[in-house]
Amino acid sequence: MKEAEKVAILGVLKSVQDPDLRRDIVSLGFVKDIKVCGAAASVTIELTTPACPVKDQLKEQARQAILSLPQFEQVDVHMTAQVRSTMNQKAAALLPEVKNVVPVASGKGGVGKSTVSANLALALARTGASVGLMDADVYGPSIPTLMGIAEQPVMGPNKQMIPVNRYGVKVISMGFFLPQEKAVIWRGPMLDKMISQFLGGVQWGSLDYLIIDLPPGTGDIQLSLCQKISLTGAVVVSTPQDVALNVAQKAIAMFNQLNCPILGMVENMSYYTCPHCGERDDIFGSGGTRRLADQLETPYLGEIPLSTSIRVQSDEGKPIVLADPESQQAEAFQSVAENMAAQISIKNMSGQVEQEIQISF
Amino acid sequence: MPASPQNKPIPRKVSRSGERDVHIIWNDGHESLFEACFLRLQCPCASCVDEMTGQRVLQDEQVSNTVSPKSVELVGRYAIRVWWDDGHSSGIYTFEFLRGLCSCVSCRPN
Repeated sequence: MKEAEKVAILGVLKSVQDPDLRRDIVSLGFVKDIKVCGAAASVTIELTTPACPVKDQLKEQARQAILSLPQFEQVDVHMTAQVRSTMNQKAAALLPEVKNVVPVASGKGGVGKSTVSANLALALARTGASVGLMDADVYGPSIPTLMGIAEQPVMGPNKQMIPVNRYGVKVISMGFFLPQEKAVIWRGPMLDKMISQFLGGVQWGSLDYLIIDLPPGTGDIQLSLCQKISLTGAVVVSTPQDVALNVAQKAIAMFNQLNCPILGMVENMSYYTCPHCGERDDIFGSGGTRRLADQLETPYLGEIPLSTSIRVQSDEGKPIVLADPESQQAEAFQSVAENMAAQISIKNMSGQVEQEIQISF
Repeated sequence: MPASPQNKPIPRKVSRSGERDVHIIWNDGHESLFEACFLRLQCPCASCVDEMTGQRVLQDEQVSNTVSPKSVELVGRYAIRVWWDDGHSSGIYTFEFLRGLCSCVSCRPN
């Protein structure tokens, strides 16, 4: 009898569609662990990311669907997530327990890559994902300031660095090893070594997402990174001005050439809302990034306003996503993070992640 | 310019053929067979090709016709690196470049 009821539940859950993956949650294999006890039913829905932007919507739809069956009066829907890996065999050797590696890039400097990276990492961590943040900007490492980290990472037993755990995110930065007044003045081979060290020489442990804050441009660090591992996909940050967008396009061209997917574009400093009168001012123009993303057939992940509170919190070492999670600014970051996680899930589930390349020699 | 690398040539399988040749099966089912000596001569690295002019610096007679790949390694998502038994290993052969080198009858009808 119970079997029949489980079948009935699966039957109605087929009407619940994941809007991003465009398939129903039953055929996606998300429905786990159906329990029936009299007029009470409970199901577990396992998503591909805890940062799913439509998590609450799916939960409610599933609940209503089961309630539409006359035999059930009480329905419990439990949401969980299991992030899937996009890494290939070679990346797995360097980062064995890291499921997704996402570089945050831009063409032009000063568009807010580090601010976006730190807030993205924290926003993903808030949803329950395990997250790492690698500051690969050796020239201007700003993650220690943004995350308020003064300590240095310690060496683990197997000669691997143990990343600094801050606000639940594992962090590594060149800034940890360098006094404020000193600078890194390196040529390519040294930068390449540093990238190797930051990947294989760090005890990242098990991570759902490793966010990498890149320096601006299309140079040695970007190339080294793309050569050493298979990246899940890049997030490209730009401000709305043409001067930034034109260079962002070059970053995208580089990733295309290196077969690194683009997860999407983010518009930072998109607009300014006057705290006194509430009027919106598009200081750098607005919407340019969305237009470019459309033109390049790349997903648009959202926009972040230009705001004093984002700047203040960044300088204080407690990014806005943590400091004031209910604020409009924090919600903007949260939404970008969720859209990014959704893009990774879409790539994973649609088989867009390319098959392994077998090399037998 | 769509941003997806969907329609780009990507190998499914790279393997040794015979004693020293390299065989590639592509994601579209196409197959390429590269003679080791030919592939070594096509090395795109900065010491085999002049970086500014793009002209080949490596001369035919500098490569032994028994040269053989010792191992092949994947570079990120876009290329392979070949370790040759003459000690050379700096060439990164991108997938697009390799596909363009295919000299089978359907790629080079003449």
